[in-house]
Formats: sequence, C-alpha cells, structure tokens
Amino acid sequence: MFSKASSGPAKAGHYVLPLRSVVSAFRRTVLATAFILGVIAVTRGAAPRFYPDDPIQVDRDAQLDASNAMPIEGSNGYDFAEHTFLKPGDRRDIPAVNVNTMDEVPDSSWFTNRIGRRAMAIDEIVRGPNSMDTVVVDDWPIVRDKTSGITPGYRVTDPSGRLYQIKFDPPGNPEMASGAEVIGAAIYHALGYNVVEGYVVEIDPAKIVIAPTATTVDMSGRRRPMRRSDVDRLLARAARLPNGKYRATASRFADGVPLGYFKYYGTRPDDPNDIHPHEHRRELRGSRVFAAWLNHDDSRGLNSLDMLEGPAGARHVRHYMFDFGSIMGSGSVFAQVPRAGNEYILEWTPALKTLITLGLFVRPWILVDYPEVAPSVGRFEAEFFDPAEWRPEYPNPAFDLMRPDDAFWAARLVAKFSDEALRAIVAKARYGDPAAADYITRTLIARRDKVLRTWLTGVNPLVNPQLSAAGVLTFENAAVSAGVATAPAGYVLTWSRFDNATDSASGVSQEQRVSGPRADAPPAMLQGSDYVSVSIQTMHAGFPGWEAPVIVYFRQGAGGWQPIGLTRK
Amino acid sequence: MRRLILVAVQLLAATAAFAQEPATRAEELARQREEKSRQLAPPEPGRLERTLLALENGRLFERILNPPEGFYPKIGNITPGGGFAIGPAYRKPTLFGERATFSAFAMGSFKRYWLAESRLAWPALAGGRLSADVHGRLFEYPQEDFFGLGPASRRDDDVIYGFRSSELGATAGVRPVPWFALGAKVDQLTPSVGPGNTGRSIGQVFRGSTAVPGLDDQPDFLRYEFSADLNLREPQGNPRRGGQYKVVYQRFDDRDLERYNFRRVDVDLQQYVPLLRDRRVIALRAFASTADADAGQDVPFYYQRTLGGPDDLRGFRQFRFRDRNVLLLQAEYRWEIFTAVDGAIFYDAGRVAPRFEDLGFDNLESDYGIGFRFGTRNGVFLRVEGAFGSSGGKHFILRYGHVF
Repeated sequence: MFSKASSGPAKAGHYVLPLRSVVSAFRRTVLATAFILGVIAVTRGAAPRFYPDDPIQVDRDAQLDASNAMPIEGSNGYDFAEHTFLKPGDRRDIPAVNVNTMDEVPDSSWFTNRIGRRAMAIDEIVRGPNSMDTVVVDDWPIVRDKTSGITPGYRVTDPSGRLYQIKFDPPGNPEMASGAEVIGAAIYHALGYNVVEGYVVEIDPAKIVIAPTATTVDMSGRRRPMRRSDVDRLLARAARLPNGKYRATASRFADGVPLGYFKYYGTRPDDPNDIHPHEHRRELRGSRVFAAWLNHDDSRGLNSLDMLEGPAGARHVRHYMFDFGSIMGSGSVFAQVPRAGNEYILEWTPALKTLITLGLFVRPWILVDYPEVAPSVGRFEAEFFDPAEWRPEYPNPAFDLMRPDDAFWAARLVAKFSDEALRAIVAKARYGDPAAADYITRTLIARRDKVLRTWLTGVNPLVNPQLSAAGVLTFENAAVSAGVATAPAGYVLTWSRFDNATDSASGVSQEQRVSGPRADAPPAMLQGSDYVSVSIQTMHAGFPGWEAPVIVYFRQGAGGWQPIGLTRK
Repeated sequence: MRRLILVAVQLLAATAAFAQEPATRAEELARQREEKSRQLAPPEPGRLERTLLALENGRLFERILNPPEGFYPKIGNITPGGGFAIGPAYRKPTLFGERATFSAFAMGSFKRYWLAESRLAWPALAGGRLSADVHGRLFEYPQEDFFGLGPASRRDDDVIYGFRSSELGATAGVRPVPWFALGAKVDQLTPSVGPGNTGRSIGQVFRGSTAVPGLDDQPDFLRYEFSADLNLREPQGNPRRGGQYKVVYQRFDDRDLERYNFRRVDVDLQQYVPLLRDRRVIALRAFASTADADAGQDVPFYYQRTLGGPDDLRGFRQFRFRDRNVLLLQAEYRWEIFTAVDGAIFYDAGRVAPRFEDLGFDNLESDYGIGFRFGTRNGVFLRVEGAFGSSGGKHFILRYGHVF
C-alpha cells in the first residue's frame, strides 16, 4: 500500500516514498493478507472431509476425449525383466487412491460393481459378458493368424463381420484351456472387471474356410497368404475330440480401437482420464486375491487390453482383463507347472538355498501331490494352497502393494460366490468327464474358503453400517457372516460429533460396549448434529487385530442418517 | 480509502481462489483430469524395451540364425575341439509338395577347421513313420590331437594331425512308434591324413602304419550302418526320467587296399532316475564300443573311438585315449536350481583297450566335477563345468548342448 508524501515539496502526479512509509505499508499489507488467509483457512479448512456427493458411486472417467491415445505394444522379455529385476511404480505403502469415502471402488472404465453391489442370479453370473448363448463358427472364414501368445489359433469373422479369436486346447489336455477361459471370464465379469465375450466351440476341420485375403507370418517374419497347410499345422498342436472335431474358445473382440495393454503401475500418459496410478488402484491391488483364488498365475499387464471406445470427439479408454487360458490347472498349452502360484519364475532366496545346499533344500511345493483326475483339469489343488503366499509368474506392482484393506475388499467379493454359483460356472465349461467338473468345483470352493479365512479376517471386518432415524446403529461382521470366524465377544463403540469443515471430532462419548452388531447412539450426540462418527472396535480373542477401530461417519440428511465415510485403521 | 480498496481487492482475489476449490468430489476429480489433459504425452518405451520388442515381433533371432527358409549364418562347432565356427547356410523346406527339404552350409573356424555339407531330406513320409535323405559333406580338421593308441598312451606324446575326408551317402529310417526307430545308412568315405597345421606333427613322433594303423595310407571306404534306437526319455531335450537305449552296427569296407576292413558295434545306454517329482535326477550312462577287423587287417587310427573331452572323460583333453574298444561310464546328480538353471555333480570313468576282453572296471581313468546347465525342459543350450580329479589336470568346460 503506497501513500502520498505528507511533507516536503511535491509535484503534481509524482509520488515520493519515504523509507519509513514503505516499511509501514509493507507491514500493513502482510498483516492484512495474513488476516484474510486466516479467515479463509478458518472458514474453508483445506477442503471439507466429505463433499455433498460423497460417497461417489461412479467415477466419471470417460468425460475427456482420449482420441489421441496411442497403441502400446508390450515385450514379454522386457516385462519379465522389468518386474523381476526392477521395482517399477510408486512403492509407498499408502491406501488405495481410487476408493470412495466408504472405502469402496466406484464404477469406472476399469470396474463395474456387479456381484459386490447387488444380488446376481446364477444365470446372470454364468452368462458373464456373453450376449449369446452359443456360437457356431463353422464356415466362418479365417481372416488372419493369431498374433500373440503361445496357444495355437487364428482369427475368424462372423457373418456380420465381427472378429473372433479362436484358441485350441493342447493335445494332451483336451478341454483344459477352453474350460479355464470361460470359467475365468465368467468369474472376473461377475467380480466387476471388463471382459470380452468367450464361447466354447467345436470346430469341424472339414468346414474350416480360409478367406482369400487371410494372411499369416511365417518363421521368417514375412507376412504371406495363409494356406490350408498352415491350418493343418495348427491343428496338429490341438486336441482332437473323439467326434473328430477340435474344441476351442471363440473370443469376440471388444468394440473400439485396440490400444494394447495397461501396466500395473503408473498411468497412461496419453489418457487424460487416467489419473490414479495403477499400482494404487484398489481393483488392481485386490485382483491379487482373485488371481490367488483362481491360480491366475499369468495375471500381468500383457494379459490386459485397453480399447478406445465411443464416438469421435468423445472417445475414452476402457480397460479389460484378458486371456484366462492359464488359470486353475491350465498352463494354456500344458498342464500347469507345479511352481506356478508357489514361486516366481526367478526367486532368489529359494534358488540360492537350493544352489548352496546342492539340492538338499527342497521347496515345499515340489512335494505336492496332485490328484489323478481327468487331463482336462490340468494341475490344480487346494490342500497346499496358501493364499497369502500365492505368487504370479513374476512380481506385479499392484499385487505387491496390496494392503489388508484392499484384500478385505476383494475377499468380500469372493464371498459372494456361492457353491451353487461356482458349480454352475464350471458347468459352462462343458467338461466331458463329470468327475473333472466336480473336482474343479470342489477345488474352487475349497480355495475360496481359504481365501476368505485369510483375507476376510485381516482387518476389523465390519461392513454395511446403518444408523436409523431413531438412532439405532447396525452393522455386519463380514468374517462372521462368511462363516470364517466365530462371533466376537463384543464391540466397543465411541461416538463423536464430527465437524466436516475442519475434519475434527468433538464431544467424544464414553465407551459403549455391546455384545452384537447393534447399538443405540447417544441421543445427545445426535441432537443438533449434522455429522456424527462412531469408532467401533471388535473384541475377539482369536483376532486381536480387530481391535483396530473402524470409524464410520454419518450425515444427517432429508432421509435420515446416511453413511458417508468409513475408515479402517 | 486506498486501504479499503486494497483490502477489497485482496478479498476479491481470495474469493476467486475460494471459488476455484471444487464443490463436489466429481468436480475435484474432473479438475485433476483437466489438469492432466494439459500434460498429455505419447507413451514412450525406453530403448531396451523397444529393442526387445523389435526382436520379439520381428523374430529377428529366428530370422537371422535359424530361418525356415533362405540364407542364414550357421554358427557353432564343426567337431569337438574344432573351435568356434561360422559360415553361410541355406535351406529350402518346401520341395516336392512340401515333403522334401534341402539344406546346405559351409563353415570354418578360427582353428582353420572347415566343413561343407548338403542334404536333401524327406523327414516325414508315411505320416511321419518313414524318413530318408541323400547327403554329401566335405571337411578338413587340421589340428586333431593324437596321444598314441591304447590305455598307456603318454600325455607327453601329444601330437597333431590333419584329417580330411568326403562323405557321400543316403539314409533311411523307420519310426513305427514315436519312441522307437530303426535306421540304415550307407556312405562313401575318402579319408586323408596330413601333418596338421600347427604344433608337433604326428609324423615326428609316430612312424609307420605298423605302429599307428592308417598313418601312411588311407584308402576309400564304404560304410554301412544299421541302428536301433529305443528312446523313452522325458522330456527329450533335457530328460528327467526314462531312458534311451541305442545300438549301432557299422561295417567299413576298404575299397582300395583290402587292409582296413572292420566292423564296429556301439551300445549306448542312458537311464534317468527321477527324484523329488523330477526336480532332482540321477542320470546314468554306459557306453561301449568295440571294433573288430577282418583277419590280418586293422582298424585305422582315425576311425578308432576316443575318450577325453567335454562330452565323456571331462577331466582329460580331447581325444586323450584312443583304441579299438572303449568303455565309458558316467553318472550325474542333477538338481533344479530354478526354472532355467540346473546344477550337476558328475563322475566319469572309462578306459580304452586293444581287445574287448581287456575292457573292465579295473584301472579306469576317472574324473569328477560340478557344473551348471542353462536351458529349459526342452533342451540345454549351454553348459559350464569344472572337471577335476584326473591325471589330466583340471579342465574348465564351456559348451553348447547337453552332455547326455
């Protein structure tokens, strides 16, 4: 703040700034600014703890045009080396960044809450992403070879021109990979991931048609017209059924423009909507739980798919989980190796122990007995399976960063799959041997139960809090509901008024002890409050970690008290 | 008044700042995305990733080193002890309706070994049950080691000879089931022995065909061969269980001098005993070879079997022992360290003898050692081994391919 000179000669329009005045003006400016900022800070806080639209159910991450996103191509060798020898991504141990204030994953281009948000009929789960009951690919022309992966196959188009990828089962394990593919697709779809349509088909070799424009790449790297002998060579690496046909999976390509794969760390630099580092996305961290359950050892970035969808000028990227041919007992082109799920391809500690002891150190998984069942099962078991120790083929940044609350979120979804649902999903694979279907179902159920025992109990497992208008608090103990824990001795509750603007609690109540998941809120605490919070500890001798409280926040609204926040300590 | 104006300006600025704060969670996220939209950049893989991707997509290694068709560089060993060799090669796999393949190559080593070979093959006739080929090869090995004949040959007698020959012949095979094959082969051979291109020549120490059969004169031969191969190894390239049992009978007909007609029988038995679900393996091999010349005739030294080198008696130099009859016993304990690397502890024993009845388990030369094998269940591409405990000193071995 400058002032006119108060003494001495002055010329019109000219201002003189004595030193004392300058200092004084500066002081006043600083004080005023500090006062204003203080007022703003007091009235504003940094930002309210909860916005009016919390908890968001949908993260609208398709609003900005991503037309300029470029296809990304992945190298198997680099991907292995990068994740094995380096540690890519932000390795801070922080909570997932894309959850809403209720600690849930909102719908997005990555994930759509299905079985976790609503009851799904078994038929709906089984149908999965498929729009049709079945497809018959006889006479659908082959338009080109299959460009990636080790499974023999090719691409065909249906009469409307839609593209499908055909993948065959290995000769020694008929029905194995195709069964795994449709089971995996149904489960991942029900969980909430984007998955392409996939169908089990039987292909009559006499009805295979090669389009005149079909091409393939020979071992010289040259693309040339595809010949019948190329197809015959593929079929020689495929399982032939007793009826002379070849069983395969027909996977329908998703709509849009393929953009390659997504990484399990960082963000796509060319997608304006992709703002959450993938290693901190809960649905990617938590997918470790699903991968462990299903033994999806090939769960890596290269088995994902980004598609550019939408009309010109309003395109966005949708992220798919892709290729389930290597889950359960299937290794795609052979029965899964015993190491899969138990150890990374290259894991230093056991390797050095084995080296130094000249092989006297024996990794425990080597001694696992796999039951003698049908070849379509591959190598799949539940007895030795330890969810917490399960590993993919090589490290996955999002899996590495999974925290107990991420795993708990995922385990709750796993708990939604009933025995009946799993039996129906397995039936979709149409195994010729009923014993194979029965064994796979029983194994999935047993592994599911281990997953729940491991990860539903890792945090204080309170969910679904509700506060009625009459002030009655109810909640659910997910571990008890799933049958993996006995009822706790009781719960200890502490109520507070909550100031949303300052993110602070006040008027803390005395501890309230209840024996079950129901309590009456102190009326005085609710009276005149817009927000209240309650801290709930669970007292269970078997799970001392459950004493770490879950804090639930409620907001008074027109319809009563709404849960708007949940924090697990 | 001025102060009031300035305070008002500051309040306005603060209010504007306040207005920029999002009012909803959706708005907060939208602003973050708007912010990112101003900083978009195309994905840029690093140099290493680009290189590996180009190698994978372009199948450069296959295209350059082992293409199914056309010209390529052939790299490897011509013969044990011949050194690293390289040369041009060509193959055409689709002759006669894709039934026949033609291949030809020529390669030379830094030790001036060279080999030229051409082959026209029908590898899978009658649904893969029959195979046949015609072939020709011409080679020169100028630095072959020779220590004398028999078990008592002296290390100090190490000399060099040169060996040159052509082979022109045909092969036929029957494989009624995948694990059993019968084979027949006939070749015309034109061996020639010379002084070698370095070191002490064989003629400086050993003189005359009486002491060393075939040293002074080398006739042409017709070689007939019959073989039976029962191969139950699993997997074939890097066996963990099963065995392979092979018998080969050869007849060498001296076409010029009628002094070197002889027969030979080789028996090669391999057994693999799996332990700990195939993660450990006891690998055993017994190899015996016996050659029997016609009455009054002899077996030329250059066709006699040898012991010593990275594939048999690993604690000895290449071709350290040579005679008509050979016995080799090998045992290995192999343990998987991780997916691509196995360790191995081995013991080799063997001897040569002028008479078959002299072969036995007494007075065997032996060695032991430790090594590592790099590869997959389909095959070993590199061996690194150290062999010790022999009278031939310590030997470090770096070799492509499995020992057995």
